[in-house]
Amino acid sequence: MTILHSRQKLTLANELIYELKVKDAMTREVISFSEDSTFREIQMSLKKNRISGVPILDEKKNVIGMVSIDNVITALDHDYVNDKVKEYMTRDVITIPQNFSLVSAIKKFEKYKFGRLPVTENSHSKKMVGILTMGDILNLLLLSIQTIAEKVEEKEDRDSQLSEQLIEKSQEKPLRFEVKKADFDNAGRVASIIRTYLQRLNIDKKTTRRVAIVCYEAEMNISIHSLGGYISVTLEQNNIIITAVDYGPGIPDIDEAMKPGFTTASEQIRALGFGAGMGLPNIKKCADQLELESSMETGTILKAVIRIGG
Amino acid sequence: MKLNQIVDHCSLKKVVFLSDEDIKTGYCGDLMSDVIAHADNESIWVTVQAHKNSIAVALIKDIKAIVFTNNVEISMELIEKAKEEKINLFSSKNNSFQICGLLYQLLEGKYYQD
Repeated sequence: MTILHSRQKLTLANELIYELKVKDAMTREVISFSEDSTFREIQMSLKKNRISGVPILDEKKNVIGMVSIDNVITALDHDYVNDKVKEYMTRDVITIPQNFSLVSAIKKFEKYKFGRLPVTENSHSKKMVGILTMGDILNLLLLSIQTIAEKVEEKEDRDSQLSEQLIEKSQEKPLRFEVKKADFDNAGRVASIIRTYLQRLNIDKKTTRRVAIVCYEAEMNISIHSLGGYISVTLEQNNIIITAVDYGPGIPDIDEAMKPGFTTASEQIRALGFGAGMGLPNIKKCADQLELESSMETGTILKAVIRIGG
Repeated sequence: MKLNQIVDHCSLKKVVFLSDEDIKTGYCGDLMSDVIAHADNESIWVTVQAHKNSIAVALIKDIKAIVFTNNVEISMELIEKAKEEKINLFSSKNNSFQICGLLYQLLEGKYYQD
């Protein structure tokens, strides 16, 4: 599991190093010297600026050499530290054009083992526009990953709330399903349709399952115990509301009906695996809010509120 | 654990076999509300309730496969519904206790070894 996870992260970094360009990562303000500078001058500058090498430019800003901390140490060793660098500096400089991708820069760092690469205007020119280190690349990668993470978070924030347009539509025309008496074959139909509907709206799995369970149990209750009724589902910004209405005969004692295991279902219904006296307790467990009203004259109204992502 | 391995080990008859799903755990029960309340997702469900409603329950709970035990009769209608909703169905002449024993050995085997 851990290995898979780190691989996924690497995929993202891999994509990024192909997308991002050298010019996105490079440092534009570069400390540089002319070939008439001495090793001593460069040594002071390296120390002061805490860097490990500098490019040597001609008067037209073309890169003509590099002097690194190693070169300075060698100059100290061999006693030419006060000489001009033009006699000794590396003239065969590896550079990289600013429009190249980071992946080619990384390859060059690996191949030549340099700490820094002077960046040129384009592949035909030696004019320097910046300098690039592995540190610059890592910095940009971290920044890009952070930006992506922030975008994902914003999107998730948006997704956990439903759009106003959708809510308006659902309140104008709530989803409404007739449930017939003793129609066990089709029972589960409402739960199934609602489940697909919520999946399409990108509602999270857990919320969808809770809504489906409430719909299923309410549907079974209407089918087993009543003369028939309907289930409607409406959406609010943070909630899904399920209303189950039947046309009677009503629940004589609601407290008793809420008790797990209490049932009035017939032997025939129980043989099918229904009427175990767990319907209402299941609904109660899944709902964040539950209202149940019943009258022996008009029937029963059940209203369950489920918080999205709650 | 892949479904195919389970089918082999428990000698199940394939009634509807659509995809070799990964199964994490199992549940056994003949009361719909009990299964709805307690079964885990990505599981296999052992029951004698072979009717269309079982498919609805499996869908709600993300149950990947149902095993009908005791050789209960499975109607064509049920088979069609299972294909439509992409739920795998198996059947066995053994009873639920025997199938659960075999399943437990496979899925929770690490606790089972002496």
